[in-house]
Amino acid sequence: MKSKISLIIFVLAFAAAIGVWYYAFKYSVTNHRDVANENAIIVSASQIVKDFQTNETKANKTYLNKVIQLKGEVLKKDQDQAGNYTLTLKSDDPFSSVFCTLKKGVKLSNKDSTITIKGVCEGFLSDVVLNDGVIVK
Amino acid sequence: MMNKATLVLFLVTFSFSLHAQKLFSTKTGQIRFNASSPLEQIAAINNQVDSKMIDKTGQIVFSVLIKSFKFENQLMEDHFNENYLESSKIPKADFKGFISNIASVNFAKDGKYPAVFIGTLTIHGVQQKVSTTGDVIIADGTPSISGVFKIKLADYGIVGSYIGGKIANEAEVTVNCKYQ
Repeated sequence: MKSKISLIIFVLAFAAAIGVWYYAFKYSVTNHRDVANENAIIVSASQIVKDFQTNETKANKTYLNKVIQLKGEVLKKDQDQAGNYTLTLKSDDPFSSVFCTLKKGVKLSNKDSTITIKGVCEGFLSDVVLNDGVIVK
Repeated sequence: MMNKATLVLFLVTFSFSLHAQKLFSTKTGQIRFNASSPLEQIAAINNQVDSKMIDKTGQIVFSVLIKSFKFENQLMEDHFNENYLESSKIPKADFKGFISNIASVNFAKDGKYPAVFIGTLTIHGVQQKVSTTGDVIIADGTPSISGVFKIKLADYGIVGSYIGGKIANEAEVTVNCKYQ
């Protein structure tokens, strides 16, 4: 009886260990956060820049690590050193914009001058920075 | 009278050319972070580094958002942000300083120039004076900065039971920023 219980405990502990190992080293490598499936905070490029400029601490609480969807006028399209596409969206302030790096593999077409994107907000440097961006429209 | 005007013109032109300086900048510089131990591969890459450099004075600034560091493993990235760098509280890190031997870099001539960086590195809200070496590379008239240096995590108040075991005590930081 006693050995049966210890066997069951051993089997359960083993299964749990396998589960933890799988989650930490297998699942977490292949399953990354996907912005397309997350609800977004909808805001304009001008507004999010203004929010960060007026009170960065407060804006960080509102936007940091959240999925943001915004529509804006494209100022610049470029590629970073790793080959990911980047977008700069215009705000009311000529010295500060929204800078978004698109998700690996997401491409930009040449024609769009106004665009709606969705991305994760990482904070504020000279621009509001988004990453993992996808194009909504 | 004519001579005086020429002299003034000469002085004005001369002083302008003496002070003419160029600001180079990028928003897509690259910084890699590696704190791998023999037990675990812990590496991240940030492709959204903001950097500015002035050619005449050698003044240089790098600013990064901690959340822009991307790991292959999402769970590792979450732990890096939440438990170690506390990026919700302290979203940024930066380096502000000078390339002390900038005079030896000829921005007009392509080549690789050894550079000495001296300044203040702020990570996790902790400021440390640092000095390190790297290169200024001029290619087609455009400068890039490259360099590798090590930081002791404890110096920046980054603590945790895994540090020294699964996570190395020292992280290697690799900078590669191409200016526009």
